[in-house]
Amino acid sequence: MTGLSREQIFRKLETVDTMPSIPATLEPLLRYLSLPVDQLETQKVVDLISHDKSLTVQCLHLANSPLFCRWHAVDSLRGAVVALGLGRMKEVALACSFMKMLPTQIGGIDPVIFWEHSLGCALVARHLSRKLNLPCADKAYLAGLLHDFGIIANVVTLPKEFGEALILARSREIPLHEAELEVMGVTHAESGGILAARWKLAPELIAVITHHHTPEQAPDHRALVALVSIADLLCRMRNLGYGYAERRLVDLLEEKAFTVLVEECTTLAEFDWARLTFELDNYMFEVHKLVAALYRIQ
Amino acid sequence: MTASPAPTQATESGSFVANPNLTRIRDVIYQAAGIFHPNHKLRFLEDRCGRRMKELGVANLRDYVDCLTVKPSHQAELVALLNETTVGETYFYRNEPQLEALRKVILPKIVEAKANLPLRRLRIWSAGCSTGEEPYTLALILLEESKGLLEGWSFDIQATDLNERSIAHAKRGVYGEYSTRNIPPQIREKYFVEEQGELSVGTLARSRVTIQRLNLLDDSRMTFMKGVDIIFCCNVLIYFDAASKSRVIQHFHTNLLPHGYLFLGHAESLFGINDAFHLIHLPSTTAYGKGAHANGRKRLP
Repeated sequence: MTGLSREQIFRKLETVDTMPSIPATLEPLLRYLSLPVDQLETQKVVDLISHDKSLTVQCLHLANSPLFCRWHAVDSLRGAVVALGLGRMKEVALACSFMKMLPTQIGGIDPVIFWEHSLGCALVARHLSRKLNLPCADKAYLAGLLHDFGIIANVVTLPKEFGEALILARSREIPLHEAELEVMGVTHAESGGILAARWKLAPELIAVITHHHTPEQAPDHRALVALVSIADLLCRMRNLGYGYAERRLVDLLEEKAFTVLVEECTTLAEFDWARLTFELDNYMFEVHKLVAALYRIQ
Repeated sequence: MTASPAPTQATESGSFVANPNLTRIRDVIYQAAGIFHPNHKLRFLEDRCGRRMKELGVANLRDYVDCLTVKPSHQAELVALLNETTVGETYFYRNEPQLEALRKVILPKIVEAKANLPLRRLRIWSAGCSTGEEPYTLALILLEESKGLLEGWSFDIQATDLNERSIAHAKRGVYGEYSTRNIPPQIREKYFVEEQGELSVGTLARSRVTIQRLNLLDDSRMTFMKGVDIIFCCNVLIYFDAASKSRVIQHFHTNLLPHGYLFLGHAESLFGINDAFHLIHLPSTTAYGKGAHANGRKRLP
């Protein structure tokens, strides 16, 4: 255990001023993108994005990735914004901010692996929400992408202890949040909730970040929290985790997230989970390729 | 991912975009045989459809979809396509994630479940064992565990197949380079004997494996396969129609002990065939559990 109590850790998370913040070049864009989509102007979005070189290149990569269902090569920023859709630009800008704040070494996790897990979870959450016709489908991608926000908080505030937790998780092949509890007494879900509130993220994102390992405790946005919790679990069981395989057997019917989802979704009984699991293999190749491309431009 | 109305092609970035006729064929195969071809296997599937189309003189995939769905001989054609896609190849240590999950997760679970029983004995059934590589691999894995997790346990592997020639080969237990290429060097050294340039399974592993001919649709003989902890039935059921498949799975369910597990082939599913088994996720693989969990089962509404 760390020398700090849970309360001391929480206070540190709330006050530490080395906590990563939204990159200055992206702040005006994010502020503009919080307007309703029908009030956004494509040219203005293009102008704001063009202030940030890495976001510009990211937009082009994303617009040309089959993960975002584009079939024709896009070669201009404007073309990329149109192809991705104005409604998706906030996702892209937040993802870019998120990547910019990642330290080059996340307490022993290669940032590429961490990013692959986040993107994998985003894609699986989106895919699953569509298959299940969940009303929160439009929020699923971003929620999946940012669910592990707290890992960054832990790396910044408790780098040594987080590193130890990761080593423990790897050597015992157990879930990371269990190792964090053992070493630090606090999980990345708890610390992520605090950082997300400091960033003033949307309430449903805060709920997902805080409760993706305790979905039964989420007071609201329960379907979204449960959805991301399952997407996260499936990614970790399908080789898109934190660079190691957890030595365990998962029966979805016994997962708390599944119980929550049953309450929120009536079509669950007929759902083909085996097929969904096989379909995850579809993502692997594209996720690896896209993340490699995005990382080269950082 | 949603299917796109685009021809099969490599995009600028070198990614694969599926032809909707091909994804339709994928769906037909999944529905009829329960085997799923992920995107990275679609090129392979397209190639195998191409072979069939050439044989039939069919000009395009659109027409070939009809051969698989509406033409009178569509069932025979599906079997012909399955024969092309599931090359009858088998080799030692074939499905690594599955074998790792057996060793690291399933065996400890079963040992735990049987900890209080007086008889420390494990029984695995390789149903559709083909030329024997699978049951011998299982024997080797358990033998390797016998100094650790399985210390003090006895075990046997029941191997069955319909095909007489495969059975004869399995009993002979001599294999060439192709099927032995994945065997780790120390295992090769310890459990095999070289015989005229080929590898013969040594007595240690051989003595643990019982090989016999069995038709999985023979109801009376199926009832004799009782008391099994784990069943492996990989790429066998894909050739069965829904009713036969359901019958075989029901036998598996009856024959498995309450804590037992069923492993199918890679990307093979029981969806829509049997509700008694439930899907479980293991590291990079899946299996089916019989469902007697200590903490009680929650059934869906």
